[in-house]
Parts: sequence; structure tokens; C-alpha cells
Amino acid sequence: MDMNRSMGCAAALAAVLALSACASQKAPATADVAVSRNAVANAVQAGAADLAPEEITAARAKMMRANEALAAKDYKLARELATQAQADAQLAQSKAASAKATAASNALNEDLRVLRQEVDRANSQ
Amino acid sequence: MTPRFLKPAVFASAILLAACSTTPTTTPTLDQARADFVAANNNPQVSSYAPLQFKEASDALDRANAAAAKKESLNDIDRLAYIAKQKIATAQEVARAKAAEANIADAGRQRTELTLEARTAEAERAKREAAEAQAAAAAAQQQAATAQQQAAMAQDQTRMIAERAAKLEALLVELHATKTERGMVVTIGDVLFATNQANLTPNGMSTLRKLADVMAQNPERTVLVEGFTDSTGSSSYNMDLSQRRANAVATALSSMGVPRERIAMKAYGEAFPVAANDNASNRQLNRRVEIVLSNENAPIPPRAASR
Repeated sequence: MDMNRSMGCAAALAAVLALSACASQKAPATADVAVSRNAVANAVQAGAADLAPEEITAARAKMMRANEALAAKDYKLARELATQAQADAQLAQSKAASAKATAASNALNEDLRVLRQEVDRANSQ
Repeated sequence: MTPRFLKPAVFASAILLAACSTTPTTTPTLDQARADFVAANNNPQVSSYAPLQFKEASDALDRANAAAAKKESLNDIDRLAYIAKQKIATAQEVARAKAAEANIADAGRQRTELTLEARTAEAERAKREAAEAQAAAAAAQQQAATAQQQAAMAQDQTRMIAERAAKLEALLVELHATKTERGMVVTIGDVLFATNQANLTPNGMSTLRKLADVMAQNPERTVLVEGFTDSTGSSSYNMDLSQRRANAVATALSSMGVPRERIAMKAYGEAFPVAANDNASNRQLNRRVEIVLSNENAPIPPRAASR
């Protein structure tokens, strides 16, 4: 049983490797890299460089490697890196957005607290 | 050189082991992604604010779990787990941002409410202050009116006192009163009495009526009626005559409305002459009744023992 299973596993693995090596994957890899580039640009526009430096740096590094892989025609690696870069970029963008919203919310809460204090003081006069 | 060759060899053997052992396959990244997923699943904000992102993260984790279940390469499992982990974190961040935005909207609403409350309180305070100011103004006006009234009353009183004093002065002048340290003295001469009698002539009565008016207007004054004669005749007769004449004056004043307790009386006979009893006109001067009008609220001091 064990032998059969491992044989099946190996066969599947071989098939996957064969498929990934196929040159017909060039188009989707290029598309993925383009989508990721877009995601990084969006994150930067959202202020990720300041608000999520770690994530945006990781995304950029992976983008660069994805481009290199694309140039080296390693489309499988290019797709993998592009997907990861996209996940990093999306996290960077959402982190930047939540940092901004949280800061604005905190500032408003503080304003409210001060205003409430003023109103209470005025009312107690 | 050797380590470079060794590394892929170790990796390859690891893949083989992972792919073929019966124990469930996992990687630290997958473990981390699963723990993060549990935390996100327990965060109510994630389900309400980032359902789409959570679904994507959940699908990504499913793919990583499937890869692990199929005992795919650790590299592939790790790669999928990493993406799942990032997507779970993204869902958390989106939820946090949406929660903050909701709070911003709520803060705006609270601010509007609070501003309204402040304005209402301000308006009420202004109204209260206006009412207080109005009350204060009314009180001040009332006070001013009272002061004016008091001033007018004081003025009236002053005028009344002045009028009374002027009237008294005029009457006393008319009565030929003389001012002495005992008070004003009005002399009723002999001619105002019937000869050798105590009856007053009409002129005498008219003089007394003026005096009674003075007494009525100056209720705080009293009179002392003093009777005198000349030295003609016995002293007992003279004492009696002076007594009768003083009595006649006192009775007349009393009949004119001057209360009896304000009239004192004293007979001196031929004592205290105002002139020498050496001729008829001088003797006539001595036959007299003197009415001493007290100073205000002051008793009439007695006559010095002799003169």
C-alpha cells in the first residue's frame, strides 16, 4: 500500500514539474506580474512606504525577483513571486489605510473628549 | 563546494520524507497561518467589516491545507501558507480600517449632538442671564423709586418744618413775643383785661387764639402761664388777682383746644416787676400775664428766686 501511494505521489509530482516547465505559461505569468506591479503602485499611493515599510519592501523585492524570473523565462517562479508580491502589497495597502483611519479616529475621539469636557465645564458654571 | 551539493540533497530527502510519512505535514508558516486564522475568525469586526477579504484568506488557507494534506513539497506548502497568512493579516487590517471609519462617522454624529447640546446650554444660560439682568434692573428701578419717594418725603417734611417754623416766627412777631433763655415770652398786658378783673377783653382773647394756634401746630411745646400785679393794694389781694388772671388765661387756652397737661400756671403777685411802681403807666406795665412758650421738647426752667 505504502509503495503504491508513494509511486502515485511521485508520478503526480513528475506531471506537475513537467507542466510547470512548459513554455505555454508565459502569458499568465506576465499578467500576474503586471497585476502585482499595480498592487505595489496602489500600496505606495496609499502611503505604505511610511506606514507599512516592511511589507512594501518585501513586495518590491519579490517584484524584482519576479521580473528577473520572467526575463530568465522561469514562468513558474515568476508567477509564484508575483502572487506573493501581490499578497504583500495588498497587506501593505490595507495596513496603511487602517493606520490612517485609526489615527484620524483617535484624533476625532480626542477632539470629542476635549469638546465634551468644555461643554461639561460650561454647563457646570 | 561540498555544502552546496549537500543542501539540495538534504532538501530532496526532506521532500521525500514529507511526501511519504503518515504523520500530518505542516510548516511553521502554516502553523502561524492557522493560528492567525483562528484569531481572525474570533474577531467579530472581521466578519462584519471584511467578509470578502476573510473569504479570500480562508480559501488561501484551504489551498495550503490541501497541499499539506496531499503532502506536497514543504516549499509549496510554505508558499501557499505565506499567502494565506498575508491575506488573513489583510482581512484584519481592512476590518480595523472599517471599524475606525465607522468610529469616525459615529464621532461626527456625537460631535453634532454635543455641539447642539452646547448651543442649547448656551442659549439657556443666556436666557437665564437675561432674566437675571432684567430682575436686577427692575430691583434697581424699584430701589431708585423708593429713594426718590424717600427724598420727596424728606423734602416735604423739611418744607413742613420750615413752613411751621416760619409760621411760628410770624405769629410770635405778631404777638410781640420776646426771646429769653426760658423760651419765647408773650406778655398779655393789663389793657387786655377788664379793670381789676380777671376777664379777658376780646383783644386779649384774639391774642390767645393766635397762641392756641401756635400750640396746635407745635404739639411738642408746653406753656407756663405766669400772673403778676403792681404793688398797689395788699399782697394777698395781688396774689389772688394774679392767680385769677393766670387761671383765666389758662382756662381760655384750654377752651381753645390746648390740652390741659400742656398748660402750667403760676401766680407771683407783685413780685418780678418789669418797671418801677412809681407812676401809673409803669404800674400798668407791671400788671400783666406772661406766657412762656417752651423750646421744642424742653422743660421751662423756673424763674430765678428774685430779680
